[in-house]
Amino acid sequence: MKAYIDASLLAILKQKFPSVEYDGEAAQPAVYVPAAELVAVLSFLRDDERFAFARLENLTSVDYQTYFEMVYHLFNWNTGAWITVKVKLDHEQPAVPSVTGVFPGVEFEEREVYDLMGIGFTGHPDLRRILMADDFEGHPLRKDYKQIMPPHVPRIRKEGR
Amino acid sequence: MDILNMMMGQGVVSTLADQLHNLFMLLFDNAVVAGFLMKCVGIGAILGIISVAAIVFTYGERKVCAFMQVRIGPNRVGGRFGLLQPIADMLKLMSKEDIIPQGCDRVVWALGPMLLFVPTALIYAFFPFDNGVALADVNVGIFLMLAISSQAVLPFLISGYASNSKYAFIGGMRTVAQMLSYEAPMVFSLLGVVMLSGSMRMSDIVNAQSEQLWFILMQPIAFVVFVISATAETNRVPFDLVEGEAEIVAGPFAEYSGMRWALFFLAEYANLLSVSILTTVFFLGGWNGPFLPGVVWFGLKVLAMVFVFMWFRWTFPRTRIDQMLAFSWKILLPLALVNVLFTGVGIYARQWM
Amino acid sequence: MPKTETYTLSMGPQHPSTHGVLQVRLDLDGENILKATPYMGYLHRGIEKLLESRTYIQGVPYTDRLDYVSSMNNNLGYCRAVEELAQIEVPERAEYIRVIVAELNRIASHLVFIGSLANDLGAVTGMIYAFRDREKILDLFDLVCGARMTFHYIRVGGVSADLPPEFAAKCDEFLKIVPEFMQEYEDILTGNEILQHRLHGTSPMTKEQALSHNMTGPNIRAVGIPFDIRKVDGYGLYPKFEFDVPVGENGDNWDRYRVRYQEIYESAKIIRQALDGLPEGDIMAKFPKVLRPPKGEVFSRTEGTRGELGFYIVSDGSTKPYRVHIRRPSFINLQGLDDMCRGMLIGDSVAAFSAIDPLMGEVDC
Repeated sequence: MKAYIDASLLAILKQKFPSVEYDGEAAQPAVYVPAAELVAVLSFLRDDERFAFARLENLTSVDYQTYFEMVYHLFNWNTGAWITVKVKLDHEQPAVPSVTGVFPGVEFEEREVYDLMGIGFTGHPDLRRILMADDFEGHPLRKDYKQIMPPHVPRIRKEGR
Repeated sequence: MDILNMMMGQGVVSTLADQLHNLFMLLFDNAVVAGFLMKCVGIGAILGIISVAAIVFTYGERKVCAFMQVRIGPNRVGGRFGLLQPIADMLKLMSKEDIIPQGCDRVVWALGPMLLFVPTALIYAFFPFDNGVALADVNVGIFLMLAISSQAVLPFLISGYASNSKYAFIGGMRTVAQMLSYEAPMVFSLLGVVMLSGSMRMSDIVNAQSEQLWFILMQPIAFVVFVISATAETNRVPFDLVEGEAEIVAGPFAEYSGMRWALFFLAEYANLLSVSILTTVFFLGGWNGPFLPGVVWFGLKVLAMVFVFMWFRWTFPRTRIDQMLAFSWKILLPLALVNVLFTGVGIYARQWM
Repeated sequence: MPKTETYTLSMGPQHPSTHGVLQVRLDLDGENILKATPYMGYLHRGIEKLLESRTYIQGVPYTDRLDYVSSMNNNLGYCRAVEELAQIEVPERAEYIRVIVAELNRIASHLVFIGSLANDLGAVTGMIYAFRDREKILDLFDLVCGARMTFHYIRVGGVSADLPPEFAAKCDEFLKIVPEFMQEYEDILTGNEILQHRLHGTSPMTKEQALSHNMTGPNIRAVGIPFDIRKVDGYGLYPKFEFDVPVGENGDNWDRYRVRYQEIYESAKIIRQALDGLPEGDIMAKFPKVLRPPKGEVFSRTEGTRGELGFYIVSDGSTKPYRVHIRRPSFINLQGLDDMCRGMLIGDSVAAFSAIDPLMGEVDC
């Protein structure tokens, strides 16, 4: 990311949404948003002409073992500025409001996160597994995921002979 | 000199047929038996032509396709030129497992490829291969030929229906739409030819072309319309929506394997040969030509038309179903009708001149 | 009025024209498509998970397997992300070589697009022609790195080997024949009236639709939005080179075809400039053998052949990445399939798959 959003703009965001947190010392601080306000913040970032982050380039999630983090990378094509929005989620029952209402192009990415990381998206129009089979159990990208070994297949050649 | 005269006058094939007939008369001394045997020989010859054509055309198609695509084509089986490739293909098809899909209507499903072969082979009876060489040179030849060849729709439909597969069913439905709508411009384009020659007998049409010009020169529009609709009738690219490999896999053929599929294949090449023969008879002057015997000229013209059809296949993309039907009803049919009108006006004008 | 029913046709995962193992369920009314739903995952290998258990440098070959017809561009995207994370400065000659091979691979990939589009529309000969010319690029890659697919040529910090001495002449030869073979496609495909009828006006997409589906690459340029990361971000050496971003007008399949067609010329232009300006020097940056990037995260994106290829890497300071996420352009572009197929015919759906140009290795990751 070359150009990150200005600190002054971040202050405006903080003014508008007091629950938003970011590390003022860091060079490119990620903006932490509570899950309840996510949709409001993203709509504000998209619609307000000072921000005008019209593109959600990337949506993913990270498993930090004690908590999950949703990561949204927003891009403003006119100024070339970026902003990283993050949401911290509980590890037991991770759920976050779907942002398909704000950025419809994240439908598949949210489904992917749901499939591989097991984060629920409330309000998603079509929340199904996308890469794994429908009857698959578990979420492979979680750090505590243990691979289920395939059922025992008899070996054709006995070992050691 | 005597033999040469005979050949030039009557043609090689009919001379041979006469001699064979004489032989049968000597052996059995009964005109009915000899006539029956002659018909049997004729039927055998036609089936032989179809089978040999399928073998030659599989090889030819692959070589022509390779030529168009800057490749070499078959070059392993049977020497440098892969001459035995069709034999190898045939052996492969014969040794394949005969898979019957679950849930299909077995009797109808099995009948499909066999029934398809009947009309395709039957129309060969009316083709004049040389002067006086036709199994049944009937005076309503064109009419019968069209009536029989349009029966080829049904086997496609029933095999598509009986396969219990959506792809096959869509293919069967497409066949009906396509073949019925291209029948109309084809018939109307032939009407001009019939008007000029004044007869529906195929040998009369060829003879009319030796007296007048070849009909490709007198009826260029009809020729174009006929060739296009003939391509559609044989389900070849650009009108191969019935098979439509990229869209509906193989259409009605999708569920057939081994020899059943080979029968479709055989019918396809028999169709290719028959439309080439028809084009030759109606527009390219049939067996007429200088120096060489008639049957040779006939063969050369047919092969040239076969090459043209193969050329279409390997250079054109596939059309879409709605575009194809619109092309038939909105362009080809009016064109054929206009052609009929102008032909009529022309004939009328010549009578007055 | 006879009663009609809609029915579902499952195209794929084994279908002659779904480019790998994509399954699309079409809800049909006769031949008209009411809805197209893609189902993927048949080629899912868990590359994101695999990368977590490999070191940064061991991860490069896995990216070859993402979009296996343009591996160089994937290598480039991943290596740029790791370099940004570990703050490695790449020597200039290596950057030039990267541009050359990446653009060559873009041409190869677009040739595959032209070929498979032609094949799906029934013009088999056009497919053979395009693949014939792709061979020439693969021969060049063979010369450069010894592989014809899955190159693993661009490494973290540079490239694996210097260009062989005869490369410049051979590449020059190739660039000279680019207009020749492009003219051949023009003759056999573009000028063909049937092909024009099949592509003009089919699967149209408005700017709003393309933006809302977050489409990138040639698919968004076809609707008239000049969104090309090479210009937007100006990463690497691209600001130095002069090239245009071809855009379409109507966003139909014809524009998708023409945009890629023009991009081949633009890529050739870039390669020509890079070959002329190729400096002498090192091809590999100096950095410790055991790469331990500092704690942090990076989102780095490049213009892959199919769109915006992004790598999001989280480092915990160890030798292995903590989390890698790949923003795969084909995967996200597939969201537009439904809009493109709706109201079209079965034959057009095949053209729409081809025009999006998804690659299942990338979609399923």
